[in-house]
Amino acid sequence: MYKYIIRRILVFIPMLFALSVIVFALAKAAPGDPFTTMLDPNVDREVFEERKEALGLNDPVPVQYARWIGSAVQGDFGESIVYNGRPVMDLIQARFWNTIYLGLVALFFTIIVAIPIGIYSARNPYSMLDYAATGFGFIGLAIPNFFFGLLAIYFLSIKLGWFPPQGTVSGSEVSGFQEFVDRMHHMILPGITLGLASTATYMRYMRSEVLDVLGSDYIRTAKAKGMTDHNVLYKHTLRNALIPIITLMGFEFGVLVGGAVITERVFNYPGLGTLFLDAIINRDYPIVMALTLIFGVFILVGNLLADIFYSIVDPRIRYD
Amino acid sequence: MLNKKFWYLLLVLTIFAFLLVACNSESSDEPEDEDPDTEQEEESNEDEEEESEQEGPVAGGEIVGAMDTAPAGVFNPIFYQEAYEANILDFTHEGLVSQNDSLEFIPSLAHDWEINEDQTEITLYLEEGVTWHDGEDFTADDVVFTYTTIASPGYVEAGGIRTEYVTPLEGYEEFNAGETEEFAGVTAEDDHTVTFHFAEPNVNPLYYVGFPIIPEHVFADVAIEDMPTHEATLDPGKVIGTGPFAFTDMVEREEYVLTRHDDYWQGQPYLEKITWQIVDQSVITSLLETGDIDFVADPSGVPAADYEMVEGYDNVELIEQPDFGYQIMGFKLNYRTEEDVEAGTIDPDNWVENPDVADQQVRQAIAYAIDRQGLVDGLLYGRGSVINAPIAQQFWAYTEDVPQYEHSTDEAEALLDDAGYVDTDGDGFRENPDGEEWVLELAYPTGNQIRERSAPVIQENLEAVGIKVNLRQPKEMSAYVEDVMENDVDNGVDLYLIGWSLGSGDPDPSGLWNITAAYNMSRWNNPDSDELIFKALEAPDAFEQEFRKQTYQEWQELFATDLPAVLLYAQNKIYGFNERLNGIDPLPYSMINDPHLWWVDDAE
Repeated sequence: MYKYIIRRILVFIPMLFALSVIVFALAKAAPGDPFTTMLDPNVDREVFEERKEALGLNDPVPVQYARWIGSAVQGDFGESIVYNGRPVMDLIQARFWNTIYLGLVALFFTIIVAIPIGIYSARNPYSMLDYAATGFGFIGLAIPNFFFGLLAIYFLSIKLGWFPPQGTVSGSEVSGFQEFVDRMHHMILPGITLGLASTATYMRYMRSEVLDVLGSDYIRTAKAKGMTDHNVLYKHTLRNALIPIITLMGFEFGVLVGGAVITERVFNYPGLGTLFLDAIINRDYPIVMALTLIFGVFILVGNLLADIFYSIVDPRIRYD
Repeated sequence: MLNKKFWYLLLVLTIFAFLLVACNSESSDEPEDEDPDTEQEEESNEDEEEESEQEGPVAGGEIVGAMDTAPAGVFNPIFYQEAYEANILDFTHEGLVSQNDSLEFIPSLAHDWEINEDQTEITLYLEEGVTWHDGEDFTADDVVFTYTTIASPGYVEAGGIRTEYVTPLEGYEEFNAGETEEFAGVTAEDDHTVTFHFAEPNVNPLYYVGFPIIPEHVFADVAIEDMPTHEATLDPGKVIGTGPFAFTDMVEREEYVLTRHDDYWQGQPYLEKITWQIVDQSVITSLLETGDIDFVADPSGVPAADYEMVEGYDNVELIEQPDFGYQIMGFKLNYRTEEDVEAGTIDPDNWVENPDVADQQVRQAIAYAIDRQGLVDGLLYGRGSVINAPIAQQFWAYTEDVPQYEHSTDEAEALLDDAGYVDTDGDGFRENPDGEEWVLELAYPTGNQIRERSAPVIQENLEAVGIKVNLRQPKEMSAYVEDVMENDVDNGVDLYLIGWSLGSGDPDPSGLWNITAAYNMSRWNNPDSDELIFKALEAPDAFEQEFRKQTYQEWQELFATDLPAVLLYAQNKIYGFNERLNGIDPLPYSMINDPHLWWVDDAE
């Protein structure tokens, strides 16, 4: 098992290297540079030319890549161009935990809603609640994130005043436990908004998997030998039904760190998604590169975790 | 086994859920606390409405402003680049002079000045008793330091772009090249007198002396390359200016807090605190209605589409005024050659003419064909104006006395017929005078929704007079600018859309329309135009504003006749503020004017 994990981690390194080459090449191939869109008639274009020269943006792409990878392996991801020389890592760090917390809250909502309802629907198919859950599932999948977010803000924040409409915290004066509570309070609406679509997906998955397993031969055998419904469900059915959900969550882990641009925008919740999108639009190469690598690492780790969980849930799966 | 685990998991999740519910109910106390307040506010507003007339300004109170995008975080006038930072720096920093309603320069940190006969020197007398936010005295040395820093070698490499303020000053080149130790352009005569020396007679010296001043005592020992990331540039409480409010606190990308500067030289500001909140555009108007935010100013403002709705809010007042800038549809008159693009040169001798729009009559016909008032009414909900000359309409230099091109398909068709562009093969579209197919390619960028939506309208307008237009797939701004400006070889673009924001300091259009200006995306090559633009800046005639005005009028007439671009519209700025906020006196280019005189009528 440990050998397997170490081997997998070693494989990450060439993969990340390949990823960085591809992303760097693509980023440089995109037309324009960080200064293209700074169209200010009061500023002489020469000034931007000088800046480009100073930043080495006029060098051949392989030279630029060598310079970037040279400092990246030493842990230095350089300085943002658009944010005027602020270290990339500082900018990422400020938003990283926001994104992680929001993702976890969304995942939490997804799990507490989707799994119980999924199980219930499977055990009582074609019941009222099953139809209601199916209906909710379709709505959840069909409704665009931003629209749900705006509705939530309008009714729950502005009309009813239950939740703060924007941001992650009420101000810099709150601290300690108060701050924790305040941040949680700010996270509920964006968390639900972000988790909505995956809740619907998980619920559908859970329902069909449980139904599937419940119809299989070994369950019939278990029932035949007199096992209670309860034991059949929790001892045999759930374990088997969870496998595809774990795969989904493995992917989700990477997606979660990638941030949620639209939810972040609507709730003005500063996270990595918005930072990444803005960096791409502004051609802020150092940020694009650092974030791509981080996303890459998380997707790989997410898949690794999924593989490890398989072996826990399903003892037949062994790695060596 | 699993059974147990499952129940543990469920237990943990339930506890977590309770926690959430708990914090929900706990913090829902807060809004309840606030609610009575806001109700009181509303009530007291109504009560005071009659009284407030007699009552003067009261000290105290807080207000909240909203902008839709967070500043990049560079709170240093010499290094910032965006309007979002300007929203904070406008409160915290000041220049020697500022501008009034009619864009004349008025005293600010300098109470008086003298300009010598040939306008090569301006001596300014500074206010005494001005203190920085940290209590130090403001002196002429700070002025010298600010300008010297912008002029010094390494400024541009460090990320600065404001060199336009120092390039006309004496000794700039030598100092910037490192040949001299001292910058001769700005000298302190004594603690409160400073002189700017220009290399050549300068037409508008007051514009150049108006740059916001940064404190020498804070930055003196900071190397220029470290300034953009220094704490006095980035951190609240460390950013020091002379303005009425100090930047004291922030939650990055969410909230920026300005606190009043008690020793402000023009008197203590009334408001205690101004907080900028970053709020998504779609939520701003609702929060304006609930009173959670008190004002919205540049650059977002109230969207034109929401004007009538917001006008209906009892507690919100609106200010509508023209923007400094305009949207154009340019004609790509010339292309550059591959070699020139490669070398980055702009040499009109090498340009390749674009025959599709080379005929002046054709361009005029296109101007007639476009229903510009229709664009203003339809896309801007009437919150804008049709302009006919490429100088901001607020300037003394702007004139309406030029060809107007009022929408007329008849005029357009007559001009096209006359120019030989007629439909010879009966497909409903005109061919060029040689009888070949004539298709104009219209390129436009994404980003500005109103502009995006104007493209198909323009296509429709032009096809109505028989001009075949091919709308290109809109591109994202960077890629678009490559196509029409940075890499503008003959790539088939005939028409392009772009918008320009102009400065309020001087009407000089050379940055956009000089033949060799990079931003002259049309590659308009009319020597008469350059001659007029330079004439308007030439000493000593140009010292007289009347002379400049006439020259610019001639130039605007030339522009409107030769038509390197059709001026589509100038959008209006719409600012909104809660009626409890008083003392708002917007300038033509900004709502933030004398914020130390702003006050609220519910201050305690």
